[in-house]
Amino acid sequence: MEETVMPATPPEKILKELADLWVSTSKEGAAEAAQGVLRACTMTLIVMAEDGEDPVGLGETIAALMPEHPARTIVVRLTGAGGPALRQRVFAQCWMPFGQRRQICCEQVEITCSDASLRDVPSVVLPLEVPDLAVILWCRSPRLLDMAEFRTLAAMARRVVVDSEGLADAPSALNRLAGELANGMVLGDLAWTRLTRWRQALAQIFEDPRNASSLSGEARIVVSGAGAVTTRALYMASWMADAVVAVGASASVQIRTRAPRTFAELACGDFQARLERHDGHLVSTVNGVSQCTLLPKPDDYLLLREELGIVQRDLVFEKTLASAAQFSYATVE
Amino acid sequence: MPAENPFQDPLRFERRVPPCAVVIFGANGDLTKRKLLPALYRLAYDRRLAPGFAIIGTSRTALSDDDFRTRMKEAVSAFSEDTKLDEDVWRAFAEGLHYVAGDLGDVGLFQRISEKLAHLDETHQTGGNVLFYLSTQPSQYALAAQGIGAAGLQRGAGWRRLVVEKPFGHDLASARELSDRLHEVFAETDVYRIDHYLGKETVQNILAFRFGNGIFEPLWNRRYINHVEITAAESIGVEGRGAYYQEAGALADMIQNHLLQVMATIAMEPSASFHATSVRDERSKLLRSMKPMSPEEIRQNAVAGQYGPARIGGEDVPGFRQEPGVSPGSTTDTYAAVTLFVENWRWAGVPFYVRTGKRLPKRVTEIAIHFNQAPLAMFDGETADGTPNLLIVRIQPEEGISLKFLSKRPGAGMKLRPVSMDFNYGSSFGERSPSAYETLLLDALLGDATLYTRQDMVEASWAVVEPIQNAWRADGFDFPNYAAGTWGPAAADAMLARRGHEWRKP
Repeated sequence: MEETVMPATPPEKILKELADLWVSTSKEGAAEAAQGVLRACTMTLIVMAEDGEDPVGLGETIAALMPEHPARTIVVRLTGAGGPALRQRVFAQCWMPFGQRRQICCEQVEITCSDASLRDVPSVVLPLEVPDLAVILWCRSPRLLDMAEFRTLAAMARRVVVDSEGLADAPSALNRLAGELANGMVLGDLAWTRLTRWRQALAQIFEDPRNASSLSGEARIVVSGAGAVTTRALYMASWMADAVVAVGASASVQIRTRAPRTFAELACGDFQARLERHDGHLVSTVNGVSQCTLLPKPDDYLLLREELGIVQRDLVFEKTLASAAQFSYATVE
Repeated sequence: MPAENPFQDPLRFERRVPPCAVVIFGANGDLTKRKLLPALYRLAYDRRLAPGFAIIGTSRTALSDDDFRTRMKEAVSAFSEDTKLDEDVWRAFAEGLHYVAGDLGDVGLFQRISEKLAHLDETHQTGGNVLFYLSTQPSQYALAAQGIGAAGLQRGAGWRRLVVEKPFGHDLASARELSDRLHEVFAETDVYRIDHYLGKETVQNILAFRFGNGIFEPLWNRRYINHVEITAAESIGVEGRGAYYQEAGALADMIQNHLLQVMATIAMEPSASFHATSVRDERSKLLRSMKPMSPEEIRQNAVAGQYGPARIGGEDVPGFRQEPGVSPGSTTDTYAAVTLFVENWRWAGVPFYVRTGKRLPKRVTEIAIHFNQAPLAMFDGETADGTPNLLIVRIQPEEGISLKFLSKRPGAGMKLRPVSMDFNYGSSFGERSPSAYETLLLDALLGDATLYTRQDMVEASWAVVEPIQNAWRADGFDFPNYAAGTWGPAAADAMLARRGHEWRKP
């Protein structure tokens, strides 16, 4: 006979706590502002993190995300081999929009568990999902990717967000993600998200039909990594090469690891475009004409803010990931 | 040449602006400083503009390129409400700022603009695309368009478009006259008449709300909707614009353009697609469905008002006639309320009450859709009141949508009370909303005229408003008829009371 293991934290208890939370929050809100509180929710966000991670930093990131992506957030903290079997607390994230009279609140559930009790987490999380809304899994812990429970949790989510820059050895990390993709997982990678501003700046250059028509023959692509071959550099180079090939040109790709600054360059005949990071700015230069825009450091908040806005398959990313995983034409210098 | 940009990623990238130049006539004026340059700078800040994007400012004042850049930098610093001026971004943006001085009646001005555009096309690779923006006095619109035409600037290697600010005429005849003069140079498809109300996020959201959801549209008709109120109230007076406002009045300044466009958005039929022509066809059809009223109907269905002096919050507030620049005997309407009817199957018999005014108790713009009462009063005798369902679309200041409905009060007995279910635009989407000018300028640069007013809409609006203006002039006024800080003249309340309705106090 199969043994039924009851989780140490019954989900009904958490649901009851959530319900009580709204009653008390509403009372407090009504007393303070005479307007009560507004409950906001557009998704269930499951965050997998290590217990050793800075809890304040992660909390601030989640709080900053809530006004734009209000969610029931379930933070699962892994304590490693030791620590409690399973422990939870429930609270609300509230904010008062500027110039308005009513607080907006979102729910947050924090579950702390040891590696051994991680197997109990899916059965706790499943009933906590908000009905009819997307479930997004943000896996901050590279270690978790190797655990069997990751797949159980990932199967519950519509989309899984990871950060390949936290994984050792960029080419094998990409191969592994491409494998998950091939198995049907809908993925997002923060290493790819970090490139959005760069990619957008390059795409903008080719809005000019004269620049677009320069793409013929062989295009030379050079991307610099920051001292190593990163998944980010591999993504950028693959994406550029795919685009060049899509219009019938061919691409030679070089990845530099010893360049002093991060840059991406595309040259084709007389045409030359270069993107370069310079003191918090992105300078794009096309045939000698430059434009400068802000390039803020992409922290977790900015990256997640973008990723949580996407709940469907990201076809451009998936194509690039597949290309980057098979990256055989790069010359690493 | 590839038809599509192979580097595009529509899922993640913002809409793309092609390389182009913008020529602003009236570049030393208030609108340029307060709205246009801050909006264009913000688009640059947000990386929406193409590398090499250029602006040519022109006005009569003699300025060098550097003088112009200095003035525009001051303007962007002073009037960008939520955008910090970043020196590096500004430096790159300012490299594209140029200035040509001259009089609109001088052929040489347009020749110099032509030479500058050719130069910019070479150095900034603008692709021959030019957006002309008329930010001058309305009386100079035709002159500027003619100058552009005489110099052949309306044609070139790329697209050429013309943006015109309101007012689009002061009556039907002058609107047609202006349109004819513009059409001598530009095709209607290249004329972008800007109505900044349509650029507001919440006005655009009306389309999303109505046509992106399946549950509201079946209720959106005379069978379920009892009446609709559209309110655009301002708490301030004319704020130094007395001389201008005296010539316009509330009816022409607000209802003829902004509020009729909002009403058209609320009441239009679903368009077949979200393409500019399709959406604008439906808006236009709605405006043409409003029957112009006879003088007798106007007496019943339109009320003009002008505020008199009052004491508000311990301060004496002048009446309109005491405002600087205003004639002591002015008969300008600072308040207008009109009952309009749309003559089609969807809306026949449903009154649309539209009101606007200055020096009202608060600044608020909203649409209130009053639904019919439940057909059977099951809970008769135990309800708090007979409040019917009410859907409120708030355009400003707290953008959002609220639905009011009845709910049982906790406890014994069947006592009902109205409750509110709120969607708050600003808090549900914490992201900064672009200003109306950012949205509309971006659209014009992208060639998307969905939110711009077409000539047939302008004419349809004047066809409704002009008879009211004429009837008011013929009947005369007894002004002032409301005290500053109140909700307008008593006659406006009586207008609704005749149909058993009353204005909401937003």
